Amino acid sequence: MLAVLSVELRKLNRSLAAVLALAAPTLIAVFAFFVLLRGSKPPPWEMLLQASTGIWAYFMLPMSVTALTALVAHMEHGPRAWDHLRALPVPRWRLYAAKAICVVGVVAIMTVLNLVFTLAAIHLAGAIKPAVAPVGEPDLTRFAVLNAKVLAAAVLVIAIQLWIALRFASFVPALAVGIGGTFFSVVATSAKEGVFFPWQMPVNMLAKEAWRVETALALGGGLGLLALAAAIAHLARREVL
Amino acid sequence: MPAAIETEGLSRRFGLRLAVDAVSMTVPERAVYGFLGRNGAGKTTTLKMVLGLIRPSAGVARVCGLDVARDRIGAARKIGALLEAHGFYGNLTGRENLALTATLLGLPAREIDRVLAVVEMTADAGRKMAGYSLGMRQRLGLARAMLGAPPVLVLDEPTNGLDPDGIADMRRFLKSLPERTGATVLLSSHLLGEIEQTATHVGVVNDGRLVLEGELSRLKADLAPQILLRTGDDAKAAQLLVGHDLSPVATEAGLAVPLRPGENADRTTAALNQALVQAGLPVFAIGPRDRSLEDIYRQVSAPQSQVEVV
Repeated sequence: MLAVLSVELRKLNRSLAAVLALAAPTLIAVFAFFVLLRGSKPPPWEMLLQASTGIWAYFMLPMSVTALTALVAHMEHGPRAWDHLRALPVPRWRLYAAKAICVVGVVAIMTVLNLVFTLAAIHLAGAIKPAVAPVGEPDLTRFAVLNAKVLAAAVLVIAIQLWIALRFASFVPALAVGIGGTFFSVVATSAKEGVFFPWQMPVNMLAKEAWRVETALALGGGLGLLALAAAIAHLARREVL
Repeated sequence: MPAAIETEGLSRRFGLRLAVDAVSMTVPERAVYGFLGRNGAGKTTTLKMVLGLIRPSAGVARVCGLDVARDRIGAARKIGALLEAHGFYGNLTGRENLALTATLLGLPAREIDRVLAVVEMTADAGRKMAGYSLGMRQRLGLARAMLGAPPVLVLDEPTNGLDPDGIADMRRFLKSLPERTGATVLLSSHLLGEIEQTATHVGVVNDGRLVLEGELSRLKADLAPQILLRTGDDAKAAQLLVGHDLSPVATEAGLAVPLRPGENADRTTAALNQALVQAGLPVFAIGPRDRSLEDIYRQVSAPQSQVEVV
């Protein structure tokens, strides 16, 4: 499995995945920076970090997953590499599992970067305009746990997007589903039914009601892992004609 | 001779269409087996079943005695493949592309140097694949198929995109492979000349069925000898020959006259020449004709209506 993972990482390393991994968290940090500079009073850390995590969870994360899974799949669809890969004496599930691990890994890195870049943006804005610098220290442990939950709840959406991107040689189905899912995630962020909607499960980690957090986490994480395993099994078994 | 690749009743159906129909082929060890057929005849589908890429609707494919359906990974360890879709990553160099496959196969880096040297691509291996010509991609594909020195090579249209010198080099290379490495080569092509100059054995597939298989030299020897003649009026000559109880066939090179079993070619040629001259027909050329793979192919694959009998 390590050999397959190493091959996947080498392919990703030479793609534009790193640009994508940096772009999305950077955009949120830039947004936080200018919002803070526009203010006149220091907002609490809690509010700033909550807002950053919220934007990540309901918009940037689903969009990033859509783009990243399409990129990972297109690395093989583009040069029609499946026949070569699938003819090798390597269990096919490992080829797909390596891709899934890489996608989850990159999304995890992006989630961490989002928190780190936002903290840096807030410090920078506070240095430029001390009047808006938040006082005290942020509760980093709480936000680390919150972001970990957001990532866990995103596993189902990752499984769905990865399956579609790998199943269809054209990137259109994956983009259409990803854009559609994100659209409803944005326009109906606070809908109670959103707890059952895969694209809204990550943002439900910020909900005040415990049942919403628990349900979305169980479905997004638990069902997500099952869906990921089922997707890998299906892709490994199906014929690529 | 034991078989490197063997199929028994191999079939594949796509919906209502039977793409491969009960193909039973035997590729002997250390042979260069030319798998011949027109586009869409079922060659690639058969190769994909041998490689375990698609499942047969019926039948069995074995590689070095291993059933591909039961032990795909074991069978895949015995095969290196060059497929029509190369699957190279354009943003990586030739060497990096080979390194990916070498890692998946658990091979050391020196194996990459070895195969690059074999296909004479060492100098270009540091360039990005996106800048490679089709011929260079073919050679790199061949190098990748040879990683780990598998005993069987499956090559789908290996001369595609090569220039005339490249085609000649590839032919020489493939022909010498069994002697140099002990490998067996299964080579698919729709080009008769390519197979004739490279293969020791042939299999002809037509509409999904294997219509002929055997050692090329023996198949040629088994063909009835022919006399080829060119005259000032081939239509009149053909009528005269029919009158002599012969069945001339119009070809691009002139009239081909198949001889009956046991008939002496020299004596028949002399007799025909005499008859044509006596009939006042100018004879430009006459003599025994070398039988080619094309003759064999036409005999087994062309519909009767396409064989023009004058």
